[in-house]
Amino acid sequence: MMSVLSAGKIQQHISAIASGFLGDWLEARGNGLAVPMRMFIDGQPLDVANPTVDAPGSTLCLSIHGLMELDSVWDFPGQAHEHYGTRLAEAAGDTTALKLRFNSGRPIYRNGQDLADLLEQLVMHWPVPVKRLILLGHSMGGLLIRSACHCGATRQHGWISVQLDCVYIGAPHDGSWLAIGAHKVADRLNQVPRDYLKVMGEVIDLRSEGIRNLSRGEVFEPGQDEQPLLPQARHYVISGLLARKAEHPVNALFGDALVHESSARGEHRPGWVLNGIANFPGVDHLRLAHHPLVCGQLQEWLV
Amino acid sequence: MKGPDNHVHWWLGVADLLGHGMQHGAIKLKRAHLSIADESFRMLEAIPVTRPVSRVVRVCHHSISHISYSSVELAGHAVALLAAAAAARGVVDGEHGCNMNDS
Repeated sequence: MMSVLSAGKIQQHISAIASGFLGDWLEARGNGLAVPMRMFIDGQPLDVANPTVDAPGSTLCLSIHGLMELDSVWDFPGQAHEHYGTRLAEAAGDTTALKLRFNSGRPIYRNGQDLADLLEQLVMHWPVPVKRLILLGHSMGGLLIRSACHCGATRQHGWISVQLDCVYIGAPHDGSWLAIGAHKVADRLNQVPRDYLKVMGEVIDLRSEGIRNLSRGEVFEPGQDEQPLLPQARHYVISGLLARKAEHPVNALFGDALVHESSARGEHRPGWVLNGIANFPGVDHLRLAHHPLVCGQLQEWLV
Repeated sequence: MKGPDNHVHWWLGVADLLGHGMQHGAIKLKRAHLSIADESFRMLEAIPVTRPVSRVVRVCHHSISHISYSSVELAGHAVALLAAAAAARGVVDGEHGCNMNDS
């Protein structure tokens, strides 16, 4: 079935892509294409300072998209506003599903700081006491969760003390091979004494801080040491692979198309204790955000 | 707000981005074009028979290229400047009550 995109949706996608590529620059210029950080419930913006929700649950499930994506990436194909959060809410009860939209070109640590503040406001003003917070992060969204958790702990936010479940779905904790590759190619081209090759290098290098952070999985402020995972929270990792057969060489080369399995598991991050790890061969990077198998795994872990 | 055309701030953002794209794209294209052309001119320069003519052609080629790319660059700069000014005026006047990215 062909999906029909409205003019408004197309504009939102253009904003998301432009923000991913040049989000920090757009924000600095006050450009109307820069996506502001907002939470959404059932497709409608939510005022975190005054949340008006029909049946507020004591568990909040927030889905955070990745680079150049919109919150709609979570929706199951052909089912608007049906996503992992709503399925978890149906299964667990007393749960409200929320989605986040943000400017993915900003440095990850700055988005993390804003997310921590937003969560603090939300939990403070939520109509019923929040007992549990589930954070689902796809790709860069997973890095944002780690950054927000660190920031929330540093600022002694209240939301850090509720039962916290963090799920990293295809998150490039050790960087994305594509971002790393782009960085290396740009470096090489810039070293060649030919102006036309330098121009190509400069064009490849023309990318946002958010993308630069992705190349090394940087989630903390520059100069800050590596921080461990939040010890009081439960942490889960989900990764995907392009080919159905796990040992297929394509998987070794490209992982889920953008992120290798080892990077999704944060194998180079010291001292990580994960409560659950799942790998889905045959599910690519984008489909990890709205796949029935992933949904089943989340229910198994979180319900 | 009835439709996307009313989201002035968003469209001004597009104009700003396109203006900057034109401006910086023209600068980069000029550099690439001239440096690729120089590869050929260097070869012609090395041959005694073609050297005098190639020097004249090179000056003409580079001058025309400079004028052409600089015009596009200037036009892009003007578009970006106008869009940024209009967006700033709109923010001051409070014209843009609805953000396209919020819906």
